[in-house]
This record gives sequence, structure tokens and C-alpha cells, in this order.
Amino acid sequence: MEQVLAATEAPRDADLAFEALYRSSRDDVYAYVAGLLRDRAAAEEVTATAFERAYRKRSRFDPNRGSGRAWLFGIARNAALDELRRRKRQAELAVDPADLDEPHAHEDAERRETRLLLASALAELAPRERELVALKFFAGLSNAEIATVVGTSESNAGTRLHRILEKLREACDGAL
Amino acid sequence: MERFSEHDELAVVLAELRPTPEAEFAAELDAWVTAGCPPRSRARRLLPLSGSLRIPRPRQIAFGAGVTALIAVAIATALISTTDSGNPARMAIDRSSGGSLLNAFSGPVSESTSPEGASAVEAQAAFPSSGRAIERSARIALLADPEDVADDSAQVFAAVHDAHGIVLRSNTTQGAAGRAGATFDLLVPSARLNDALAAISAIDEVGSRHDATTDITAPTVAVGKRLHETRAGIDSLLSQLASAETESEREALEIELRRERGHAAALQAQLAHLHRRTHYSHLSVRIETGDSPASTGAWGFDDALGSAGHILGVAAGVTLVGLAVLAPLAILALLAWLAHRTWLRIRREHALSRRV
Repeated sequence: MEQVLAATEAPRDADLAFEALYRSSRDDVYAYVAGLLRDRAAAEEVTATAFERAYRKRSRFDPNRGSGRAWLFGIARNAALDELRRRKRQAELAVDPADLDEPHAHEDAERRETRLLLASALAELAPRERELVALKFFAGLSNAEIATVVGTSESNAGTRLHRILEKLREACDGAL
Repeated sequence: MERFSEHDELAVVLAELRPTPEAEFAAELDAWVTAGCPPRSRARRLLPLSGSLRIPRPRQIAFGAGVTALIAVAIATALISTTDSGNPARMAIDRSSGGSLLNAFSGPVSESTSPEGASAVEAQAAFPSSGRAIERSARIALLADPEDVADDSAQVFAAVHDAHGIVLRSNTTQGAAGRAGATFDLLVPSARLNDALAAISAIDEVGSRHDATTDITAPTVAVGKRLHETRAGIDSLLSQLASAETESEREALEIELRRERGHAAALQAQLAHLHRRTHYSHLSVRIETGDSPASTGAWGFDDALGSAGHILGVAAGVTLVGLAVLAPLAILALLAWLAHRTWLRIRREHALSRRV
């Protein structure tokens, strides 16, 4: 994708490349933004804003500075942080209650309890930690892409993620 | 009991918590992309989203107002300095060949510049100020053909002679148009200045004429008064000397008398100088043979080349001045932009650090 974005010079090809990036990343961007903001309406607004900014800046994408997805998530991150600054508040839950209240098909009670425990532990994380979880497990970015988005090294991103997972596991085990 | 024995199991459950967009929102966003990503103002009408309008914050407004004020001050300063340097009155004094005389005065100045010859000096002559000490000066430029420079110079000498004036300096150059010319630095009795100007104006075409008057009544009166007082003091010392009885008393009075006489002599010289300034007017005459169409009557290739060079020079000057004004503004704008970016980055990270 990023190669297509970078290599194409004709406007039509660039539009097609952007559309392909959008198709492959739409739900991931929304998942990341919603995980960070914990507000469905705000997440929709920020997602739309992020794609609009990315479309305007598509000619400035430089593949030497990271993948197309990392570039897109960097834009989405700035838009989300702008929204946080504007609202000066964060929602209480990492995901909407509706997502948790809807029982998955063939889900047993223990599995449902586990999900609730983990959601609660996730809500207790610091925003900076929750952002890494959202980038890794909601958006599906690699450690290298996460490092590019948040402006750190790949090893540092991996180390921080490992600590966060340990923290989540301890929180869930401690609740038993 | 451990609920998660491995991180992989934890990752699987975390992935199950992944938020998913509403189908309606996803469809609207798809439609926006399919429509070719139109501007957000139109897209926002399609998307029922909040917060479409961002109102500038007070700090942003203050920042913008500060930058605007800075630019306004810079432009105003540039304009004021340009106006000062182009002040005709100041330039007239600076360029006046009689500057040494004008620099010594302390009274008010009146000036007039006219290419035709109507002058303040004539007005002064028409309405003389009785009892006032007025210093007068004038500059006149004649336009002549190169072959007429010598003849015109001779006529200037004759006019000065007729007016009983004095030639302080003169310089005559023969050559082609633009190079040939003459300059004269003259002192003319003030009473005959108008006659001299009329005679010189009749020699050739008058290109420009500048007249100035300076009222030096105040310093003249002040020096005269101090001289009178000093003389009265000398008379008193002479009386005391005549009635002195001891040798030491006489010696002390003679010393005082010598000092007062020296002071009186200096004042007398000052007064004489002021009277000379009143009785004689400084006159500067210049004979020019420039490439004026009026003087040459033709416009050839050399003239075109000269004009082109002049235009290029003016254009380069204007460009240079423009750059001098714009360069600091551009640097300011760049610094402001960099500061804004840094500030924005810090604020964004700060927003992420804030905990509920």
C-alpha cells in the first residue's frame, strides 16, 4: 500500500491508492480512536477527520519514514489528541457498554466474566498505556509501526507492551 | 488460579474487546470516499457529527493580534524612516551648498523651491522686515548645451561682478552632454541678490531654483548687548584705574582691563560675522548639460540605454527594500510557525498524560 502511495504520481492512481488504504484501515482506525477516546460519537468524528486530513496530505507521504498505515495512524493520533484537548475530558469506559452487554453467540458465563474483568482493567490503565493496547490489539499494528506512530523505538514499544500485558494479567488475577 | 497463563490468551480476549464502527457511520464514510473525498464542509453535512466548528481560543487570538501588531510596527517604522529620508526640507538643508552658513544660525528658516523662479527672497524683498537681521541664500541650476558652458560661465562671472559679489569657488568642465558643466560658489550683497538672480536666470534656461531666508535677529541682538555691557565694564575699569592709589591696585585693574578688552574683541568679531551674514547672501550656481530632452532635443540609443539602466537600478533598489522589509517578516513567521508546532506537540502529549 505504502509503495503504491509513494510510487504513483498520477492523481488518479494516488486516489486509488488512498482508497485502498482507507478500505484496509477504516475499521482499525476507528477501533484505535474509540479505544483512546472511549466515546463513540467523538470516535466517528475523529475518524472522519483523520481520513480527510490523510487525503489532503497524501502527496506528502514519505515511505522512507514508515509504512502507510503508520503514517495514517500518526494523523489519526493527532486528530484524537486534538479532540482530547478540545473536550478536556475522557469517557469512563474503554469500549461502549453496548459492546459488552451484547452476549456473543455460544459464549459461556466464564468467558463473559473474563471479558468484563479485562475491560475493567483496561479502563484503569493510564491513557498512554491504553493507547498502546489500542494500537496493538484493536488496530493490529506491528511494534515497528507503533514505534513510528508514538515516536519511540521498536524495542521500547515492545517492552512497554509487555509490561502493560503483565499489568492487565495481574489486575485480572487479583480480581479473582 | 491464573486466568491468563499466556499473553496470547490475553491478546485474544483483548481483540474481542475491539470497538467496531456502526454500520451507518461506515456506510457514510464509504460514500464520502466513493464521492472522491469532497471537502469536510460538504462531508459534515453528510455525517451527523458534532463539533464541526472550531472557535479560536483566547491565547490563539492574542498570538495572532501580537503578530499583527509586530508587523504593523515594522511597516510603520519602515514608512517613517522612508518619509524622514525623503523630507524635502531636510534634504534641502543637507544638500545646500551654503550649509556651513545655515548651520550656524539659531533663528527660524523659510525656504522655497521653484523651477520657474518665483521665490521667497522676492517676497522678502517685497515685504521687508524693518529692524530684522535676515540671512538669505539661493541655489540656481541652469540647463545649457555643452558648447555653451564656457560662454554661460563667463556671463555668470559678469553678473557677479555687476552685483559687486565675490566668487568663493568656481569649477568649469568641458566635454560631452552630461559631463560638461560648471559650479559657482558666490557671495553677493544681499541688497543686490535679486538683481544677480535675475541676471543669472537670463543667461540660459533655468532648471531649478531654491531660495532660503534665516532670521538671525536674536543672536545679533544678544551679541550686541553683551558687547555693550563689556564696553561699559571697560569704561568703569578705566575710571577705577585713574583713581587707583597703590601700585598693586593698578596692576590688578590692568589685568582685569586686558581680559575685558579681549572679550570685547571676540564679541566684536562675532557681531561682524553676523553682520556679514546679513549683508552678504550665499549664492550657488550650477550649469548642467544633462540628457534632458529640452536641452538635447533628441532621444537616441544612448539615452534609451541610460534610461533602461536607470529603470533597472530603481527596480533593483525597490526589490532590495522590499526584501529588507519582507525578510524579517518571513523569519518572524517561520519562528512563529515552529513555535506553534512545538507548542501543539507538547499540548497534545499533555492531553494524553491527563488521567480521568
